[in-house]
Amino acid sequence: MEKESKVPRRPIWTGSLSIGLVNVPVKVYPMIYDRGISFRFLHKTDGHPLKYQKVCTKDNKVIPWEEVAKGYEVTKNEYVVFDKEELEAVKPESDKRIRLDKFVDYFAVDPVYFDRSYILMPDKSADAYGLLLTVFEKKGKAGVGKITLRTKEYPALVHAYKNALVLTTLRYAYDVVDPRGFEELKKLKKSEKDQLELAAKIVIDLSGEFDITEYKDNYKQKVEELIKKKLKGQTVTPEKPVQEEVKGLMVALRETLKQLEKK
Amino acid sequence: MNAGCARHSCVFTCLVTTVEKLTKVEFTNLDKVLFPKLGIKKAQVIEYYIRVAPQMLSFLENRPLVVTRFPDGVGQNGFYEKDAPQGTPSWVKTAKFYSETAKRDVNYVLCNDIDTLIWLANLAAIEIHTPFSRADSREKPDMVFFDIDPEHPATFEDATTVALLVKDKLDSLGLKSYVKTSGKKGFHITVPIAGEYTFQETRKFVHKIGQQLAKTQELVVSEFNDTKKPGKVFVDYLQNSHGRTMASPYSLRATPEATVSTPLEWSEVRKGIKPTEFNISSVVKRKKDPWKKIFDNKQKLTV
Repeated sequence: MEKESKVPRRPIWTGSLSIGLVNVPVKVYPMIYDRGISFRFLHKTDGHPLKYQKVCTKDNKVIPWEEVAKGYEVTKNEYVVFDKEELEAVKPESDKRIRLDKFVDYFAVDPVYFDRSYILMPDKSADAYGLLLTVFEKKGKAGVGKITLRTKEYPALVHAYKNALVLTTLRYAYDVVDPRGFEELKKLKKSEKDQLELAAKIVIDLSGEFDITEYKDNYKQKVEELIKKKLKGQTVTPEKPVQEEVKGLMVALRETLKQLEKK
Repeated sequence: MNAGCARHSCVFTCLVTTVEKLTKVEFTNLDKVLFPKLGIKKAQVIEYYIRVAPQMLSFLENRPLVVTRFPDGVGQNGFYEKDAPQGTPSWVKTAKFYSETAKRDVNYVLCNDIDTLIWLANLAAIEIHTPFSRADSREKPDMVFFDIDPEHPATFEDATTVALLVKDKLDSLGLKSYVKTSGKKGFHITVPIAGEYTFQETRKFVHKIGQQLAKTQELVVSEFNDTKKPGKVFVDYLQNSHGRTMASPYSLRATPEATVSTPLEWSEVRKGIKPTEFNISSVVKRKKDPWKKIFDNKQKLTV
């Protein structure tokens, strides 16, 4: 049941890291998988999988792909309509280059901007790759630049991680909310000195090494146990929290059943 | 598709289990308020029927039921239901009979066990009505029924007076009678009988007693044409017919006060009592069950 995070077989992108006039050919491999539990929707009465269809909201008719256009909602129920060609024309070209134009301290990049990480592998460029990796590790630096994946251009960070170069796509600034917009935060008072010392002590006492494996997905584990039991044909009794009202009814029912037995 | 997971996995597990094995019934909408004036929820209605089940079930046994359901609460969209509804579980017993009023075969529910009673309560079947004969001998009533029904401005107190007159009359004939509040305006009086009479005979018997009382008592009317005479109490004999029903003993009534059609001792029937005294919360605390041995006492009619 448990899928091990094996090394992916195929790169999803090949191209090169370019720093000024230097090119380092690389292959990009996926690094992140969504391995939470997922289900398919089935028809309860006959067990067949359900599929989605695009249905016109006017007459509920199913619409084939050829008749689908994209609309940008300007105001409620008012759209600017595009066809495929119009949008294709402005899409960024995949130029097979990750252009690094700046080097920053790796820890200076806020994780709120991190989107998705990929593993970079040398593509017959082991020496250059090794050199770049060593520099990043030694200096604690990361390169910032752009990559075009499929049809979207992302800001990206290339950094060293566990003896490999890793590329992490970043979110644009407009995708991230600035918490300074919250009024409550403007009213925060300065902390008292003794309280601050106490809080600092607690933090120091509870300090430790970060280890993501300490955190388990309990829901996933429970569902997987249920799946195993169901596969073996065992009936499954969920430990569903019993409603307060049902508890009351069961008390009454137990008493009545006792009376009925006596009869 | 991940978003719906938690909810969706439940669909599978719910199919194979019930909360507890004490009942086959799957409870739904227990929070629904069924008596808005008192804020009584469906859970309390179900609990009421669980608590009165020992007194009710022997009476209900094998009687094709008619129920009045109020899924949105009393006072709203109630409906009378003869047929076992769609989705009736297979363990609920039913009996098919031709209905004179509906002019077709009706699949009636028989409530012979507590699960069926709980199931009905869960359907918001507030009122449970029973005919005067059982499914295995439909044409032979096992009781005679007097419906003591006061017409405004006649009051419950007037109905009390007439009920006691009927009792005295039956006493004088050597017949033991049993009384309950209707839960609405009046009283129901029954005489359990041996199964050798037809509805025509029981109807005639009740009519005759009504006529005899009407002769001497200003308050009493015995004829259907006089039922709407203001200030009179009608001794209704017409219910003694094939397929007619009364509110079952201990049935809740669809009144704002959640009244119960409550079996009483004759000694409790006196001036000053009110039908609202007998309700969803007071009846379960009553220690007596005056109709308990009613069918140990099947009598012969003499006029």
